[in-house]
Amino acid sequence: MNRRGTLRRCANSLYTLPAMILLFMFLIVPLGYTVYCGMYQYKYMVRGNFMGLENFIYCLTDETILSSFLTTFFITFVATAIAIVLGLLLALWIDSRTGWFSYLIEMIGLIPWVISMVVAGLLWRWLFHGDLGLFNVFVKAIGLDPVNVIQQKVPAVTALIFVMSWRTIGYAMIMILAGLKGLDHTLLEAAKVDGASPLQTLLRIKLPLIKSSVLLSTIVLTVSNFTNNTVPKVLTNGGPLDATNVITLQQYNMSFTYYEFGRSSALSVLVMIVTVIIIACYMKVARYEL
Amino acid sequence: MNRLKPRSKAAWTFEFLFVLFFGVLNLVPIFWGLITSLKTPNLINTMPPVIFGFTPTMDHYVRVLSSGFFKCIVNTFMYAIISIIAGVVLGYFAAYGFVRREFPLKKLFFFIVVVGIPLSTGSSVLLIPNYMYLLNIKMTNHWYTMPLIYTAYHLPMAIWQLIAGIKGIPSELEEAACIDGANQGYVLGRLLPPLLLPSVAAAALLIFIGAWNDYITASVMVGGNDLKNIQMAIYDYMGYFGQEWGPLTASATCAIIPILLVFTFLGRQLVSGLTAGAVKG
Repeated sequence: MNRRGTLRRCANSLYTLPAMILLFMFLIVPLGYTVYCGMYQYKYMVRGNFMGLENFIYCLTDETILSSFLTTFFITFVATAIAIVLGLLLALWIDSRTGWFSYLIEMIGLIPWVISMVVAGLLWRWLFHGDLGLFNVFVKAIGLDPVNVIQQKVPAVTALIFVMSWRTIGYAMIMILAGLKGLDHTLLEAAKVDGASPLQTLLRIKLPLIKSSVLLSTIVLTVSNFTNNTVPKVLTNGGPLDATNVITLQQYNMSFTYYEFGRSSALSVLVMIVTVIIIACYMKVARYEL
Repeated sequence: MNRLKPRSKAAWTFEFLFVLFFGVLNLVPIFWGLITSLKTPNLINTMPPVIFGFTPTMDHYVRVLSSGFFKCIVNTFMYAIISIIAGVVLGYFAAYGFVRREFPLKKLFFFIVVVGIPLSTGSSVLLIPNYMYLLNIKMTNHWYTMPLIYTAYHLPMAIWQLIAGIKGIPSELEEAACIDGANQGYVLGRLLPPLLLPSVAAAALLIFIGAWNDYITASVMVGGNDLKNIQMAIYDYMGYFGQEWGPLTASATCAIIPILLVFTFLGRQLVSGLTAGAVKG
């Protein structure tokens, strides 16, 4: 009886097994394999000598990589903060509305998120074009000097942050709005009856209660911006002079421009560690359960 | 709950202007891309730019579509459709197992699924690892490379969507069907699927958007004109056409159209899918 029960339980795992094998193959095994590759010298895909931790130490001491890490942290932080703050404000605002109006805002907000990053990068690059771009037409119209956005340091970083937050504001808004819609309305009514001002309701009731959906979208967007290499690649391609050389771009170039696969594997592991830390926060907030 | 308080004119104007600003900011790149793609090269280089009242030309579209772009569109559709089918089917069985069955290692498996959701949002973390690994087992550059990767990357999210769907169906329904003599095949093949349609739609939609919009993974894993996807083609045009914005914006417009079509008709499903993972309260 007991043995048959065990057998039955094992047979039950057949439902999930095909999916799990695929996930194991493409999410788990590669991670282990990279750690292994990171410990060897690679030249043009030919494995050389065992190097131990040398590649990792190289990545942690190389100046270009460290400054690239700093650039990435800065861009990720600012872009995520902008998206979350604006997304939160938008969500609070449309939460008071119903029907087609709020639906329209939701849809318009999500459009930048559903179009591909290559297309978004390309279209913004065209708008920011030095001579023919619509952006400079606007700048001239309000009486300022035109800016060659992509070719100058500060404007390029600003543009990258702008495009990154532009494409994620809608996502933040939708996620936070879902949190707001899930609030217990009796609580808000009770506060009103007790004479709480709208500001008090917002600060003391709404914000604390939607804390987790705000946190969750912050974490998702942090991971997404931190590991985003398509937008920087298309919009500025790291330039001018490494000003927007984010870590994933550095990693990409190390692999596919210089073919330093040992070092890029080691760098991947480091990027992965940062991502895993962020994901650990996500797991703590999300409280996923079956 | 209806707010009957009349809004002041100033508040209304402010709100209207804000919506206008938000709409313009979000839509102007697409709009301007569309306009540019319909202009002749001379008109594109005219300053100040012409917005309305020019004779549209389809030259850029003809030029782009005749240079192998159509094949890339077909490839991308194929990748997306295979990934959707595989993702939904595998996700369905897995979700059913997670919700309705007990088995060893269930906790660990579920953990992997949940970690997989944010991990594959930032799929460029897995770029070098997967490249090294797939190259080593000689699985890059095949017709099945991209569908397999997309299925794996989007499977955690699909499982999550379908778990939410199956949890919403009372298990008494299945029990009743079994008492009436239905077997497991009937339950899985006939009884549940119609009830799960919204979750399936949400999962399929998210897989479609992911597969259609992917650039970086495909650019590393496959090469050559036979396997290129649409985003790779657009990126390559940036090198090929250089400063010719006509063909560039035409190709970008082609890539946006299917996404916007799907989005217009299934926007609700997308929103409910995205927020299915959000915590309650």
